[in-house]
Amino acid sequence: MKEELKALRQERHNSAVKWKEQTGGKIVGVFCCNVPEELIYAAGMLPVRILGEHEEATEGNLHFPTNVCPYPVSCLDQALKGRYDYLDGLVVPNVCDMIRSMYGTWKLNLKIPYVHFLEVPQRISREGSKFFHESLIKFKDSLEAFSGREITAESLARAIHVYNRNRTLLRQAAELRKEGFISGTELQGMVMASMLMPKINMNELLNRYLQEAGKRQPNRDGVRIFVSASMLDDTDFFELIEDCGGSVVADDMPMGSRYFSFPVEDANDPFAALAERYLMRIACPRKMLPEDRKRFIEDILDGVKVDGAIIHNLKACDCHLYEYPFLKKTLEAKGLPVLFFRGEETETEMETQRDDIEAFVEMLRG
Amino acid sequence: MPLKAGIDTGAMNTAIVLLDGDEILTTLVVGSNEFLSSPRAFLEKMLESAKREWRALESVTATGRGRNGIDLARKKSSEVVCQARGALWLFPAARTVLNLGAESSRVVSIDEAGRVKSFATNDKCAAGSGLFFDSIAQLMDVSLEDMGNLALKAERTEEVSSRCAVFAESEVISHIHRGVSKESILSGLHHAVVDRIMDLLSKAAVEPDVVVTGGVARNPAVTGELSEKLGLALCLPAEPRIVGAIGAALLE
Repeated sequence: MKEELKALRQERHNSAVKWKEQTGGKIVGVFCCNVPEELIYAAGMLPVRILGEHEEATEGNLHFPTNVCPYPVSCLDQALKGRYDYLDGLVVPNVCDMIRSMYGTWKLNLKIPYVHFLEVPQRISREGSKFFHESLIKFKDSLEAFSGREITAESLARAIHVYNRNRTLLRQAAELRKEGFISGTELQGMVMASMLMPKINMNELLNRYLQEAGKRQPNRDGVRIFVSASMLDDTDFFELIEDCGGSVVADDMPMGSRYFSFPVEDANDPFAALAERYLMRIACPRKMLPEDRKRFIEDILDGVKVDGAIIHNLKACDCHLYEYPFLKKTLEAKGLPVLFFRGEETETEMETQRDDIEAFVEMLRG
Repeated sequence: MPLKAGIDTGAMNTAIVLLDGDEILTTLVVGSNEFLSSPRAFLEKMLESAKREWRALESVTATGRGRNGIDLARKKSSEVVCQARGALWLFPAARTVLNLGAESSRVVSIDEAGRVKSFATNDKCAAGSGLFFDSIAQLMDVSLEDMGNLALKAERTEEVSSRCAVFAESEVISHIHRGVSKESILSGLHHAVVDRIMDLLSKAAVEPDVVVTGGVARNPAVTGELSEKLGLALCLPAEPRIVGAIGAALLE
């Protein structure tokens, strides 16, 4: 099943093209955890998360200096190489400087019919939530104009229901991960597939997967690891940890628990509910204050037994690197040894990382 | 007494140690490429010179970057753990191990039983590594062994930046063209390398005794300046390249 999940990521472009051929529908790419995919879904289109790839960004590098976050560069590189030619639309949220730059670079260099810039407030606050609420209404109007389809109260309620179902299933998977029924690599594979596949199909797949996983013999041999990461858009780092004798039992990252942590709650006012979930509840250091991040991470760690923590930040990800000393202190105060990596988007560093992870696992085994 | 072998295959050299109980029976340091072409032959030769039989070997444990390529080792262990065990065996009061290898540098904090408390590795840059010294030695036409002593003879120090191995090389070339003495350039290079090592040490709580291991520990200009900057006497093994292999041999 692990292989099945892996294939969903690897084959994502072919699957997207096939989906378009079969349904005649439109596909909208999204960046980051702040874009309410429910709205795209309610307009009858397929949202897919934009991912980078482990290859030299020969085209992307031409547009940026070297000392920037490599993830968006790799995403642009993939698009310039034609891998995202099937996209009908793209939504770029105003999150960090590099993601923001995706708006201009994609608009100028690619021929995507619809590119929307979604305003996201800088900080989590009640005022911000109100602003974001308005920003989502504009987003809805813009999606309706592009798709030619009205987003009705019913279609949005249905979308929220399907997405909440996906979050519930992923949260159940996270519980099974704590017990060793599901590996960290598998759960990350499920999250990534959820970001790419039509949600109804994904929910069916997850349902089946969880039933089978619950019957397995749990693996409880691994050293229990908590991972906090800025951007891991492939499962290979988790695979490496688990290959070295670790088990990732909990995480704090955008392509992990931040994707499924909280449901969209109040269905009576769906836009307020979407603003609440997508702005107020996602624990990204770009907009959440350190004290709140600390509480959030302590809550995760209170719910699971962990032996050590690995922090993986992509180079030049200012939002996460700024927080690193504080995060390290928080984890150490909980008695957890911390291993830190400043990562790239390429695979070349995996072997040096393996050395450190093997040593870390051996150290934790004592 | 049980006969145990430890093998530490690094980026440049491989160290092999045969331990007979608590005693080092024999040791060997050989180029890693040469060793990896026939690991068994090297071990057999060592056993032969020590007048021991292969079947008397109770265990063979490998460590170092190349450990996974050594099939005859029944056990593999990380460099961090092996350096810690080896350093404590040589210096029972050791609490910090600074391993300066060809490719990577590490600082390891250990407890009184030799258990690893924490460790930090150098970042990806090659400046400050043993291979950096190797390339500079070739560039300046001096031997790796003489570099440290030549640097200590310098009357003045020529500034060399510590941030990048490639830029440092081009700086060295300009200094040579300006007629600066080899000693002064080498003195600057050693300062730059020690600066990098001090950066690494700042990531750890350095507690005495501090043991320095790996090929770079044979360089008196590096260890001298480190000792001065830390304000501590350093524990220097007679052969610092074999510490990881000793640790590997000691593992149960």
